[in-house]
Amino acid sequence: MKTTKLLAVLAALALVLAACTEAADTTTTLGDPGTTEAGAEEPTTTAGGGEEPTTTAGGQAPAGDTLAEVQSRGALNCGVNDAVPGFGFRDPDGNFVGFDIDFCKAVAAAVLGDPEAVEYVPLNAQQRFTALQSGEIDVLIRNTTWTSSRDGGEGATFAHTTFFDGQGMMVRAEDGFASIDDMANTSICSLTGTTTEQNVTDRFGDVPFELLTFEDNEVLQQAFLAGQCDGWTSDKSQLAGVRSNFPDTEGGPDALTILDETFSKEPLGPATRDGDTQWSQIIDWVVIAIIQAEEFGIESGNVDTFADTEDVNIRRFLGLEIEDDEGNVTVFESGLGLEPGWGADVIAAVGNYAEIYARNVGPDTPLGLERGPNSLWTDGGLLYAPPYR
Amino acid sequence: MDRWRAALRPALPLATNHLGGDDKVTPQLISVVTSTVAQQTARPPWWRDIRILRVVVQVAATAVIGLILYVLWFNLTNNMRRIGIELGFDFLQQPVGVSVTGSDISAGSAVWRALVVGIKNTFALVVVGLPLLTIIGVLVGVARLSTNWLVAKAATIYVETLRNIPPLLVILVAFFVGILPLPTIQDPVEIFDLAIVNNRFIAVTGFTANPGFSTFMWIMLGALVVSAIVWRWRTAVFDASGKPHHRVLWSLGVMLGLGVVGFLVIGRPFELSKPVLDGRVLTGGYSGLGGYFAMLVALVLYTASHVAEIVRGSILAVPKGQTEAANALALSGFQRLRHVTLPQAMRIALPPTINQYLNYVKNTSLGIAVGYSEVTLIAFQAVGNGRPAPQMVLILMASYLVFSLVISAVVNVLNRRLQLVTQ
Repeated sequence: MKTTKLLAVLAALALVLAACTEAADTTTTLGDPGTTEAGAEEPTTTAGGGEEPTTTAGGQAPAGDTLAEVQSRGALNCGVNDAVPGFGFRDPDGNFVGFDIDFCKAVAAAVLGDPEAVEYVPLNAQQRFTALQSGEIDVLIRNTTWTSSRDGGEGATFAHTTFFDGQGMMVRAEDGFASIDDMANTSICSLTGTTTEQNVTDRFGDVPFELLTFEDNEVLQQAFLAGQCDGWTSDKSQLAGVRSNFPDTEGGPDALTILDETFSKEPLGPATRDGDTQWSQIIDWVVIAIIQAEEFGIESGNVDTFADTEDVNIRRFLGLEIEDDEGNVTVFESGLGLEPGWGADVIAAVGNYAEIYARNVGPDTPLGLERGPNSLWTDGGLLYAPPYR
Repeated sequence: MDRWRAALRPALPLATNHLGGDDKVTPQLISVVTSTVAQQTARPPWWRDIRILRVVVQVAATAVIGLILYVLWFNLTNNMRRIGIELGFDFLQQPVGVSVTGSDISAGSAVWRALVVGIKNTFALVVVGLPLLTIIGVLVGVARLSTNWLVAKAATIYVETLRNIPPLLVILVAFFVGILPLPTIQDPVEIFDLAIVNNRFIAVTGFTANPGFSTFMWIMLGALVVSAIVWRWRTAVFDASGKPHHRVLWSLGVMLGLGVVGFLVIGRPFELSKPVLDGRVLTGGYSGLGGYFAMLVALVLYTASHVAEIVRGSILAVPKGQTEAANALALSGFQRLRHVTLPQAMRIALPPTINQYLNYVKNTSLGIAVGYSEVTLIAFQAVGNGRPAPQMVLILMASYLVFSLVISAVVNVLNRRLQLVTQ
């Protein structure tokens, strides 16, 4: 997610040494070693790069028919994280679990009717966009922040935001800081060379504070444990992950408090390649359907009980027959290229937004994140589904 | 005949050798040789003419190097332009966007100002570290040769331990074991009001300047000149009469006396400033961050272990006769070291020690590991926040080059002064 200094140096070196061939490797100059490795050590991606000879120079992805390709392949290649608990992680049995993973399953359920028809492609932060551009993955769902330069420069198209994250501040509970405004003259730790540093500097403004930056999260954690810094700032979801794993010898998670305030915008959502509008819209509407289902009160457990509902909106959503005034019976067709009733498949497979949230990152999980901005708009949150009609 | 011989010598050395002495040259041989020379002209063809080849090779070498540089430069600018990284150094004027610990750099400060702070922080490590590591290095180096078993073994263990650990590891150990376990800022250790120790910073009593301080500094400069004159005078007295010169005492006395007079005349040009901690706000005194002390201790101890080996080797390299002569003069062990062995060992030790100084400077770039805002950390911080990496790396290279060149220059001057004139 953030640039590391090594990458910077390598990039600088690559710039000097890379022979200037205008063709072929345009998109991979910055990430060369990473992407090659990813391709080599990832045997699960058999359907990916290999059968994609249409990948053209200059990183311009094929404006191909991703939907047809995924359906003929019978599996969705989903680029994910495998190291962030709650979002994208491998459980002890080696299965991928997490918030982002559930969205991969939702897409597979909508497109293929089978939530398990997913090939997970674990990617690190530097590999992810190259993997997307090269066609190695069909969709990137890997806690990726939607920014203008990624939408533009990286050739990605972002879908509806799945998780509204933001930078937060974690303090020791015993210090009793209730707000960042109480933290004048404190010392704050963050990682070197990240947007986090800028955000926290902006947040403090004229209030004096010391910014201690570390290259490595482990050293940072030790410094924080020893009391060298009063606050630890990072994305809130990451802080929650750290807090949930905080050693019991230091008082466990209760010894730490994550302040309510959020002082940067990190909208995380799925991304697809530029140039395949239909596919991008499908991803968009899968996310929207999951949000819409919560609004309708449709859950994985009760989706079958709606067969007799009178609500025409719900009947449209679930692909049920609708009788108009003349007695004609139709099934709503969205024109997205999916089977009618795909919404029901998605909800039956992974549940609605509230279920996905509660299962992976909600208050009852180790991360213990409140819904906050990720509530429905009717509850004062930011989740708003365009009408399904 | 002489004219031919002159022409022959460079071109046909074997032939001239074969001809032997001056007076044994037979006319027949001369005629054979001169005819071939006449056919070939006096000079060999240009592709075998050393005078031409020399020039050609140098021009070619220059061209090849120039070509390589040009290709690298072309690649760099072209790739940068293609990826959309800005060329040039205009970004130095833009706001840096982050605050820098222990400085007044805030989000709105220009990038170059943050870099200057980084260079100052690097300099703070160098200016304190080099003298410290020299002293420790010499002491340990001498100790390794001590006849006292305990002293010698302790020094050996110190050298062999530190010399064989990567400096990054030494720094992390110093940080985790030496700095982090110190008391927290809420519960600091105060030493008689004079120093405050906690794991964020260590503050000691210092001085603050009052009005008139600059006048006082001029007076002290004058005092320095006067004491230098006194030094020469006492030396002259000693040379002339053989009376004890006591020139150190004399000079220091003059200096101190003038200082006290100046201090009283101006009226407190400076005063003591004790560190005061109010909550988390430190005022007064001199202070350094935890990361600074972790770096300083780690790098000084690490580099001193290398210097110690140089010192030990140099002492052993002083001819044994020198020691024996000193013993014959009934000099004590210390006198022998002070007046005979060390002065000669120093001449041998100085050049390799420069390398260790330079290593020390370069190793300060590891401060990024423990969050010490030296120039490398600042540069990478800026790169992470969207500043162009190639230019930043160039600036970093230039900064370390300047540090290294200045240190080499100073030590080389010292080295030249120390060398025996007769050699």
